[in-house]
Amino acid sequence: MQDMIQLKDIHKSFGAQKVLDGLDLNIEDGQTTVIIGRSGGGKSVLLKHIIGLIRPDSGQVVVDGEDITKLNDKQLNEVRKKFGMLFQEGALFDSMTVGENVSFPLVEHTKMTDEEIRQVVAERLKAVGLTGVEGKMPSELSGGMRKRVALARAIALHPQIVLFDEPTTGLDPVLTEAINQLIIDTQRNLNLTCIVISHDIESIFRVGHKIALLYGGKIIEYGTPEEIRASKNPVLVQFLSGSTEGPIQIM
Amino acid sequence: MKGFLSLIDNLGKAVLRNVEEAGKILLLFFSVLSWAVRPPLKFKNIMKQMEFVGVKSIFVVVLTGTFTGMVMALQGYHGFRMFSAESLVGSTVALGMTRELGPVLTSLMVTARAGSAMAAELGSMRVTEQIDALYVMAANPIQHLIVPRIIAGIAMVPILTVVSDFVGIAGGYFVGVHVLQINEGLFLKNITKLVTLNDIYNGLVKAACFGLILSLVGCYKGFNTRGGAEGVGRATTEAVVLASISILVADYFLTAIMF
Amino acid sequence: MPAISTEAKVGLFVLIGLVVLAYMSFRVGQPGFGLKRGYDVSAVFDNVSGLEKGSAVQMAGVEIGQVESIELKDGKAVVKLRIRPDVRLDRNVRAAIRTHGVLGDKYLEVMPGSLIPGEKSAYLKEGETIQYTERQADIDRLLSQVTLIADDIKNVTSSLSNTLGTPEGEESIRKILYNVRDFSENLNRVVARNDENFTEMVTNLKSASKEMERTFAALSQITDEVNQGKGTVGTLLKDKSVADNLNKTLAALNDISKKINEGRGTIGRLVNDEETVDNLNESLSGISRYINKAEQFRTFLSYRGEYLFDRSDAKNYLELRIQPKQDKFYLLGLVSDPKGRRQTIETTSNGVTTTTTEYNQDKLLFSAQIGKRFKDLVLRGGLFENYGGLGMDYYMLNDKLRLTFEAFDFGRGSNRQTHVKGYGEYRLIKHVYLSAGWDDPFNTSTSSPFVGFSIKFEDEDLKYLLTTSPIPR
Repeated sequence: MQDMIQLKDIHKSFGAQKVLDGLDLNIEDGQTTVIIGRSGGGKSVLLKHIIGLIRPDSGQVVVDGEDITKLNDKQLNEVRKKFGMLFQEGALFDSMTVGENVSFPLVEHTKMTDEEIRQVVAERLKAVGLTGVEGKMPSELSGGMRKRVALARAIALHPQIVLFDEPTTGLDPVLTEAINQLIIDTQRNLNLTCIVISHDIESIFRVGHKIALLYGGKIIEYGTPEEIRASKNPVLVQFLSGSTEGPIQIM
Repeated sequence: MKGFLSLIDNLGKAVLRNVEEAGKILLLFFSVLSWAVRPPLKFKNIMKQMEFVGVKSIFVVVLTGTFTGMVMALQGYHGFRMFSAESLVGSTVALGMTRELGPVLTSLMVTARAGSAMAAELGSMRVTEQIDALYVMAANPIQHLIVPRIIAGIAMVPILTVVSDFVGIAGGYFVGVHVLQINEGLFLKNITKLVTLNDIYNGLVKAACFGLILSLVGCYKGFNTRGGAEGVGRATTEAVVLASISILVADYFLTAIMF
Repeated sequence: MPAISTEAKVGLFVLIGLVVLAYMSFRVGQPGFGLKRGYDVSAVFDNVSGLEKGSAVQMAGVEIGQVESIELKDGKAVVKLRIRPDVRLDRNVRAAIRTHGVLGDKYLEVMPGSLIPGEKSAYLKEGETIQYTERQADIDRLLSQVTLIADDIKNVTSSLSNTLGTPEGEESIRKILYNVRDFSENLNRVVARNDENFTEMVTNLKSASKEMERTFAALSQITDEVNQGKGTVGTLLKDKSVADNLNKTLAALNDISKKINEGRGTIGRLVNDEETVDNLNESLSGISRYINKAEQFRTFLSYRGEYLFDRSDAKNYLELRIQPKQDKFYLLGLVSDPKGRRQTIETTSNGVTTTTTEYNQDKLLFSAQIGKRFKDLVLRGGLFENYGGLGMDYYMLNDKLRLTFEAFDFGRGSNRQTHVKGYGEYRLIKHVYLSAGWDDPFNTSTSSPFVGFSIKFEDEDLKYLLTTSPIPR
């Protein structure tokens, strides 16, 4: 299988703190890869490297055959159109209605008429299980609905890759399950390459085709859910069992 | 000795920090300039900001302008009465409003109302990752968020100043003629005789500069917010303080250049 | 109620603002609007201080026009007045400059004059001059004089009151009055007693004046004799041999100065020797050369910041330019590049050598160049941001505009192109420059257009620091 994204020997520090330390990771095309790791362990930083929000101190980020660390702002914008991203809190523009939020990338990057845009917006909202909410403001929606709207916005331009930054954090078990199902369905229906960041053990085995464990600035385990379950790596074992005993230091 | 050295050290760091900040604001201004001339301009956003900065500030500006004019008339009257020159109260109010108080008070009020809101709005967009979301959607936040605000600031503050000048003079007229019984004809005649077109226009140029300062500082502070809800609060306070100080300092230099 | 759209609100607001502005401009912008018509008369004053163009002209407190212009003619002020067409001024009106209150504005008051009996009344026409003007009472001068006078009076009265006000004073005045009376009585007596003596004195004086007359006649005779060459003084002045002697002395003096000119004698040699002149010239030119060197030697410090759009980052330059001669300079610079300094690291593993490029962001870049100016063209060479390269500047518009092209870092490893930079810099005001251009267009990851601004100033202190240390010629 072909690799959609390759991260090669990524180093990144903020001041004296080394966050990524020689990280290598390949993301396969048309698969969902889940990245797990400690809170504050650099997972969000890794995600921001993939989409070019942060440039690495050294190393390469190859997306679809192109090293994005060498691109300027304009070229980077072209690459970003291949991406959709679902932020932790949704990051909906709270000065705009739901409809305007979802149509934003369409208005920005396509030459569609208002009527066409309205149709696409309704279609995308329907795909995430929402109807008739176009006129509402994000503040009027519940947390779960906001995430659905954010997902609708992320897939509005038919991206090849969608990034999920902790999509189920802060949701109740029922909603968590619903969002997981949504990720699975969306990935299958649109044939997306998905990268999901999560600490929710249930979720990772449910949505992930591949699972990667980020620890100490490196990917120390990578494999299918079965391989991960069978692994004897002490860090992984401690992480999955949620034990306080083991190599992960609790500060 | 050690305490003295650390004092100098801190002083140097503070100076350096301020210089760095001034440089960053200038760089933001440059990139705003470059985006302002790059189509497409976001007309809808510009209108929205103009409504917010301009239309919605009318009430507070009219209120402060009127009362300032009235107070100036009252104060001036007691001074001029000593020389039996009460009819000069009108021109004093008019000159004071058009040259100084109109632009400065208006921009300080707009700073408090809109400059702080800009910092708070952009700040909360920063901490809730909405600005990152713009980048991810290949849209430049400077073009979408900052350029409209700065255009609105530069365009609306002078118009608010015109309104403030007018109601200030009207307030002075009301107090002078109807409360203090100054001769109406002389009052008005002295205004038209002593105030020149340049007084009004220079005041408006000042107002445009202040509009730029308050929106630029507000956007800068908001755009560079760090650290959650507390950071947003801090950014808002800093924006108002820095913008107000900058406006007063700029006022001195603009006055020195113009009059 | 239908909702008003944002655009409509903003539009309405802008409209209101413009209408208010137009109204205020209209009220303020046309002083004396409607006085375009009317006729001009002039009036001449010694002093019009305080009166201005546009000041009011009043008659009996009614405004009848305004001051159109004030000009100086033969040391006097000629004031031209524009009078309303419906007001007719008598030929014998008087004009005066008055003040509203103590501190108020000056205005010009026109008063009807007294009719001269028998003269026919006529009106002033366009261009005519008001005949009678009153001098302006200069309040300041008046006040200060009044103060001085008042001071004097006060001094006199106070001393008087000091002497006369006391009982002793009264006593002494009484004594003085008695003395005066005694004195005049005595005088009377003396005059009466010496009446005869006075007559004799007058007779004596008469005879003395006759004697003097005779003495003057004798003196005039002596001067006549001197003129004719008689007597000792006469001979001395009229004898020819004295004049001959004087002539000879002058000739000798002439001779000496001629000798000096020809280089004879000590002074002559010193003055006429070429070597002396050369020596003097040389030492003078030596001094002036040293002064020139110091004059020509100039040092400039400059800071330039460039904002790179496509990298959303800034580059900073700090430069010292040492210019020993007008057309030659050395440039030393520090550059902070957000990208940092490039380092190439070669690692060999399993027999395969891989080259990786890293950027060290903490490191500054250095520039050191030598440049020479040919008219408007400057060629530079040396280190550019740590790499060897060449640069070219072209100056235009009296050095206000500079076009610069630089190429450096030719080697740049296998996958990088030569770093090229082109930009223009314009002097906005003294010391402050704006620039715009393109940095590194051939390398996509660092290529970016930029705008920048810089501050340049000449540093006199540095110059003297550098010139006081010896410079080889």
